Amino acid sequence: MSEVRVEGLTKAYGSLRALDDVSLRFPDGGFFGLLGPSGSGKTTLLRAIAGFVAPDAGRVLIGDQPVENVAVEAREIGMVFQNYALFPNMSVAENIGFGLRVRKLGRDEERRRVAEVLELVQLGPLGNRRPHQLSGGQRQRVAMARAIVTRPRVLLLDEPLSALDKSLRVDMQIELKRIQRELGITTIFVTHDQEEAMTLSDRIGILRAGRLIREGRPEEVYADPQDAFTARFLGEANILTGVAEEGGLRLADGTLVHRPQGADAGLIAVRPEHLEVSVAEPACPNRLRADLRQRVFAGAMGTCVMQWQGQVLKSIARHDDLRDLPETGPVWLCWQDRHARALVQEP
Amino acid sequence: MAPGVTDTLARTDLRRAGLLLTPAYLWLTVAVFLPLSAMLFFSVITDVPFGDTEWQFTWTNFTAFFQTGTYATLLWKSLGLGLKVTVLCVLIGFPCAWVLAKTIRGRAREALFLLVILPFWSNSLVRVFSWAIVLRGNGVLDRMVNAIWPWPVDVDLLFTEHAIIIGLVHSYLPYVILTTYLALQAIDDSLIEAARSLGARRFTILRRIVLPLSAPGLIAGAVLIFVPVVGSFMEPRILGGRMGTYYGTVIEDQFVSVFNWPLGAALSFILLAVVLAILALAGPVLRRTGT
Amino acid sequence: MRRSLADWLGISWLMLVLVFLYAPILVMAAMSFNASEFYQLPFQFSTTWYERLARNSAILDSALRSVVIAAVVTVIATALGTAASIALWRYEFRGKRVLQVLLFPPIAIPWLITGTAMLIFFYAVGIGRGTPAVILGHVALALPYVIVVVSARLTTFDRSLEEAARALGAGPWMVTRAVLLPWIAPGIIAGALFAFAVSFDQFVVSYFLSAPGDNTLPVLIYTAIRKGFTPEINAISTIIITVSMALMLLAARFTKFGGER
Repeated sequence: MSEVRVEGLTKAYGSLRALDDVSLRFPDGGFFGLLGPSGSGKTTLLRAIAGFVAPDAGRVLIGDQPVENVAVEAREIGMVFQNYALFPNMSVAENIGFGLRVRKLGRDEERRRVAEVLELVQLGPLGNRRPHQLSGGQRQRVAMARAIVTRPRVLLLDEPLSALDKSLRVDMQIELKRIQRELGITTIFVTHDQEEAMTLSDRIGILRAGRLIREGRPEEVYADPQDAFTARFLGEANILTGVAEEGGLRLADGTLVHRPQGADAGLIAVRPEHLEVSVAEPACPNRLRADLRQRVFAGAMGTCVMQWQGQVLKSIARHDDLRDLPETGPVWLCWQDRHARALVQEP
Repeated sequence: MAPGVTDTLARTDLRRAGLLLTPAYLWLTVAVFLPLSAMLFFSVITDVPFGDTEWQFTWTNFTAFFQTGTYATLLWKSLGLGLKVTVLCVLIGFPCAWVLAKTIRGRAREALFLLVILPFWSNSLVRVFSWAIVLRGNGVLDRMVNAIWPWPVDVDLLFTEHAIIIGLVHSYLPYVILTTYLALQAIDDSLIEAARSLGARRFTILRRIVLPLSAPGLIAGAVLIFVPVVGSFMEPRILGGRMGTYYGTVIEDQFVSVFNWPLGAALSFILLAVVLAILALAGPVLRRTGT
Repeated sequence: MRRSLADWLGISWLMLVLVFLYAPILVMAAMSFNASEFYQLPFQFSTTWYERLARNSAILDSALRSVVIAAVVTVIATALGTAASIALWRYEFRGKRVLQVLLFPPIAIPWLITGTAMLIFFYAVGIGRGTPAVILGHVALALPYVIVVVSARLTTFDRSLEEAARALGAGPWMVTRAVLLPWIAPGIIAGALFAFAVSFDQFVVSYFLSAPGDNTLPVLIYTAIRKGFTPEINAISTIIITVSMALMLLAARFTKFGGER
């Protein structure tokens, strides 16, 4: 169990900047989510920590030890790959025991630890099966078991759940979190699914085009995105532009709304769940007239899609609360002062 | 390739790569590249430099090719043979590969594929020999045809060009079936299904989807056939008798009976140049079809 | 399964081709049991040629020599070829393209030329003709086949398996041994079989490199045919074909040639 740090990590492939001066601290025993769109560099960062990618500049430190000159096999990491990479010619037990075999721990110790970890991931009786005989979820757990049985200093997960279908994924998220809590291994995991990142992580880092643009606890980053990209990437956001004035923010249609502190650039964001839709004019400090175009039903919640000044605005509410609204037509939108967030355009 | 690929060589890796590669390439150098250089040397000298024979540099071995028309004619004959055999193999083999790859499935396919490939592993000399038995006058083929055909017919195919072609096609057919089969098998069925759903008829699918996609396999097979056939001498001798004089047999003579190694070397090099030229032409076609 | 007319035509064509492929072999096998020395029909069953064969030490020696040579060649070519294939697949370096192109000459150049060139060179450096020369030549011919076959199998290997093994602490040799080799084993076996076939069947290069009197089997058969054959050649040929086909059938049970896996 160790803290992991990267400092000034840079990596370019030809003219493509995969990593651009990235510095991050991954706390000991914590669950850190690396989030970003494809091509953002999150996988490259993970692989640089693992040792599969040699950075052009910068340092990687695992537990205060610089590891740039340490080969992958000597870094004492555990890694779970997107496609699990289970050895097809070995049984589940042999797969899991591989790392122990390499460390020459002896047959008895090997067997004991494999059994122990099989229990942990709840795959007890499947030790003799072959990977191709397992379901996706089972394979995922074997991959996990294999990575943690060697008691690595850091656990690296490369989109470990992306190959699973939705309900299984949710179950596995809970499993993953439980195992990590029990073992207390520093865990870094990569995903492009922001919901997953928010669910699992103690802290998240958002990467874009090779640069780290935001880092912090999920609730903090969600509540206070600070820039337009993060606001849209983590959850959804309605972004409104206007001109800063004495009394507030003057929007394109002339409405004056509350201007939160820091919104000098004239950008604010309001989360869909904070935007209320009504037919009658609300008694509300910030209100707009918009055109309701569509209502989307998604089980417990419903989304309203509106057009305002050539822009799409969204509102989310419990489906029951939307019952009085028409399917389409003119509506009023409303949000409270405290729910408007100031933004800068570029991080 | 984009991020995700392990970086290129560190010094220890270079050493390891070298360790793995050296034995094979050293062997090839000693057994192939040096001999070819030696042969180049031999082609420009007058006599073998062994013992105390006098020898000097000369171009006569090469000019001999152009002096009489014989060598050029024989080279042309060999090239023609190569072409005929290759075309026949491709025409006969492609439908077979297609049937194996697409029409038959499962156990039957494996069994049939094996049956097709098996003769490939038997001794080619022996197979050619077996054709000599079948094709001779008063041989099996003769008797069979006469048994069926009402009029008396003399089928003596041995010692004709036809016999040589039959023998060569028989020897090399499995090559093209194998390479084409592998290429066809790689064509995703869903591509053909998509074409059919768009209304394409069989022939169009063949022409515009299957052939282009399987062309590399076909061409690989064709090359595997053309090159050895052009230099063949064993089949022409056994099946062609007096008719069986080809460029290859002439070269063989230089080394085995006439002992004019320099001439043999020069003739070989001319053949090599021609073959490489033809392969060079085939290269762009392979690249264009997207290998 | 419903088949169209075109399907049936295709299958019939395949059957015809199979008949074409096997007919002469079957005829030769039949003739080896025919009493007549000159293949005269009507057919009279007799095993005299096989009996004569058993007493013909020249042929038997030569057959044994072919087998031994092929076995030696197989071991060498498979080992060298597999190592080279792995290196070409695993590492990126400058000049790799060149190395890959250099594999083609043995296949792209007519064996006639390669054989005669080897003869010239081996004589010049004192290796001369004989079994060592034959082995030298055969391995060089078999190498490209082994490399092509093993490389083809390597392309199906999931690199993340190697990475996973390394992440678990395995050094390069352990990675190769425990993860890579098991996967490519079918390719190695297929390559070995190719090597054996190339060597055992090899006529052209052996023809030029064998010492007179110390022949490989194909060379012996060739000279016998040129002189006017005895049906014992028929008998040994039938045996060779039967044995090699049986071997291949056996091998096929362990590997999948059709690329299915």
